[in-house]
Amino acid sequence: MTTTNDNILSDIRVLDLSQGVAGPFCSKLLAGLGAEVVKVEPPGTGDSSRSSRPFLGGSVTTENSALFSYINTSKKSVTLDPAIPLQAQAIKKLAQDCHILVESFPPGYLESLGMGYDHLIELNPNLIYVSVTPFGQTGPYSSYKGSDLVAQAAGALMYTIGLPDKEPLKVGGESALYTVGVSAFSATMMAVYVRDVQGFGQHVDISAMEVMTVSQIHSSIYAQFGRTPARRGTNLVQAKDGWVSPGLETGVQESTWLKVCELIGKPELVDDPKFTTQEARRANQQDLLDVIADWAGTKPKEEIYHTLQALRTITGYVATVEDLLVSQQFVAREFFQTLADPSIGDVVHPGAPFRIDGSSWQLHVAPILGEHNDEILCRRLGYSLDELSLTSDKGGA
Amino acid sequence: MTSPNKQALQGLRILDLSQVAAGPYATMFLGFMGAEVIKVESLSRMDINRGKARPGPDDLRVYPNGEPGEHPWNTTAHHVHRNINKLSLTLDLSAERGKELFLELVKACDVLVENYRGSVMDRLGLGYDVVSKLNPRLIYLKISSQGATGPESNYGSLGSTLEQTAGLASITGYDDGLPLMTNLVYPDPVVGILSFGALMAALRRRLKTGTGCLVDLSQREVTTMLLGEAILDFSVTGRIAGTMTNRHRDMAPHGVYQCSGEDMWVSISVSSEDEWIALCLAIGQPVLTSDRRFGSMEARLNNQEALDAIISSWTETQDHYQVMHLLQSQGIAAASVVKGSEVIEDPHLESRGFWDVVEHPEAGTYKQVTTPWLLSKSQRGRSTPAPGLGEHNNLVLSGILGLTQSEIDTLEADGIIGDTPKE
Repeated sequence: MTTTNDNILSDIRVLDLSQGVAGPFCSKLLAGLGAEVVKVEPPGTGDSSRSSRPFLGGSVTTENSALFSYINTSKKSVTLDPAIPLQAQAIKKLAQDCHILVESFPPGYLESLGMGYDHLIELNPNLIYVSVTPFGQTGPYSSYKGSDLVAQAAGALMYTIGLPDKEPLKVGGESALYTVGVSAFSATMMAVYVRDVQGFGQHVDISAMEVMTVSQIHSSIYAQFGRTPARRGTNLVQAKDGWVSPGLETGVQESTWLKVCELIGKPELVDDPKFTTQEARRANQQDLLDVIADWAGTKPKEEIYHTLQALRTITGYVATVEDLLVSQQFVAREFFQTLADPSIGDVVHPGAPFRIDGSSWQLHVAPILGEHNDEILCRRLGYSLDELSLTSDKGGA
Repeated sequence: MTSPNKQALQGLRILDLSQVAAGPYATMFLGFMGAEVIKVESLSRMDINRGKARPGPDDLRVYPNGEPGEHPWNTTAHHVHRNINKLSLTLDLSAERGKELFLELVKACDVLVENYRGSVMDRLGLGYDVVSKLNPRLIYLKISSQGATGPESNYGSLGSTLEQTAGLASITGYDDGLPLMTNLVYPDPVVGILSFGALMAALRRRLKTGTGCLVDLSQREVTTMLLGEAILDFSVTGRIAGTMTNRHRDMAPHGVYQCSGEDMWVSISVSSEDEWIALCLAIGQPVLTSDRRFGSMEARLNNQEALDAIISSWTETQDHYQVMHLLQSQGIAAASVVKGSEVIEDPHLESRGFWDVVEHPEAGTYKQVTTPWLLSKSQRGRSTPAPGLGEHNNLVLSGILGLTQSEIDTLEADGIIGDTPKE
């Protein structure tokens, strides 16, 4: 049997002062690998994401934001305000005894409270101190505010997304901030490895703008090579119940077109020069999509996906969240995990984003606000809640 | 005194069979942080990033100023930009001798990275079972479309189809409900960045246990991770998340607004009442602070069309950078929606040393994307230009495997290695 002690980060304690999406997503992934993550939240209201839509269930409480529930799995929650000196003292004690600190305050804020990197390494010399902010710790925009949208704009990601006659479009949801969290996670894991091998900690500086500039992947190089990237139309075809992309324009063997013509009942197209090569199909994309649309319109999208993939095309179908939960691939790999949330009931979560032989992924329900005040602040650090001027903060409206 | 300047991943050797974007991005980061990355391609199957040996006039690949040059396979934008910090070795893995040499390299490497369709490596006789027996400390990073198991494990995908099958397209689009893809293969860089962290985790595991392992990473699963809150919501309430242009569930105003100049925009996100009041003052409309249509976040969320029209009428005569700086100076999150030609000139990125200027011997001088992190002690190395095909055959075969010059010559004569693609 695998126990928690076998996990990759089971000897690692994380103090997470970050709020919102990106920092907490980083520490969620660290918790997944078995680290103990103590999440510090503002007393009373908790992390801002606790008041973020959508809410699971009828009433709005600190305990039923889908966003919060997703990105704070497997953590412990304590409520402390770094601006209140006695509570700041408790944060410092936790910082003294942890391996990784994650924070997302405006640059300079923790320094002003005596909890900057330079301060804390005096207490804890090998600390890994991870700062996750919209624009990073230095530079002319370092005090600027950000959001998922602002990061996608500043990093040249969204300029080319969307349709030519409309405004630039962001990738949906909180995708950019999750990616920022992923970058923070990967950089933190590198810093852990460096400490294991070379023996020192360091300050990790994550800028959401830079993560997006890395993610734009070709706009910057195209611009320098003389091609102007632009927003362009879509190659989706309407199926009976949604959308598919036929996937006949890249990475497809020559013999595949013949099989596709047979499949769609258009053998006369086998030798049609408009479609015989990938390049020709790309050049005549709209004609190709029309031909496929005649056939696809009466068939379910996922059936089209499987049928065409079997011919070694690179077909896609637009899955909604509803489709994802019944995907045979996800079911077979048990990607989704159902957690019993005491305040909500059964909730389905995405599981491990990668799988490492011989190591399990930790996924437990996100903590109630202040759920671990007693365990961490009282029993571990020896405070009383009165002394810290904390009322019991266990959840609430 | 110990030198703090030893690179983070110094001493690690990576055998890189990956192609296209996700894998090459991961190994590019590894190279930046000091690992030695040996990129393996065959002369008949180069990395797709290299394009065609002899591109025709209609070829859609991007070459410096449209000029493929003498060796087009060394100068495509995708190759130049994604394959920096790597050594190039050519090896025909379908030939016995090529396979033997590959397996010799497996013994000398710490990590193998590949992103073929699920079963390709097994079919080549180079699957995890084989390579892990030869090198029990090897970490095998398998990046695949669907994961190493399951009924779709051999399906093919591109970044754009992953956006569909993982659900991301279903929440990306304008308010007409039509799903859209990013045209930027967005899942690929995300997978590349996460793969790096997964590999660090596996390396730590190796430090503890002394043994390597398989890391199984499904690009589709990683992409679905990006819409987690919508999955939780559906599982409890049955709501199906859809497209919403650039709007946000909790913030208004929240969108992009046209500025002066052709196709110029600025993004604005307002998350609090303080920011809303600051915005009203910044745009010279203090009267809006008492307009009941906009008197609370709820009210603004319900009146976004009117709100957006007011903001647009202010932004449309102004420069997008000026709007950004003005609003940020008043504590409002805003950024110009920059294009590729602007982001390479951005003064903030410049001041942080984000871009590396790379002098590529065949493609010329350009600014290179670097890493999505800065570490105070483990600094990244300078970019070395993307290698020409087979540029490091000698270095790898003689330096690592100890082959003699005549053995290398024989390999070349037999077409196992070389520097010119077979067409």
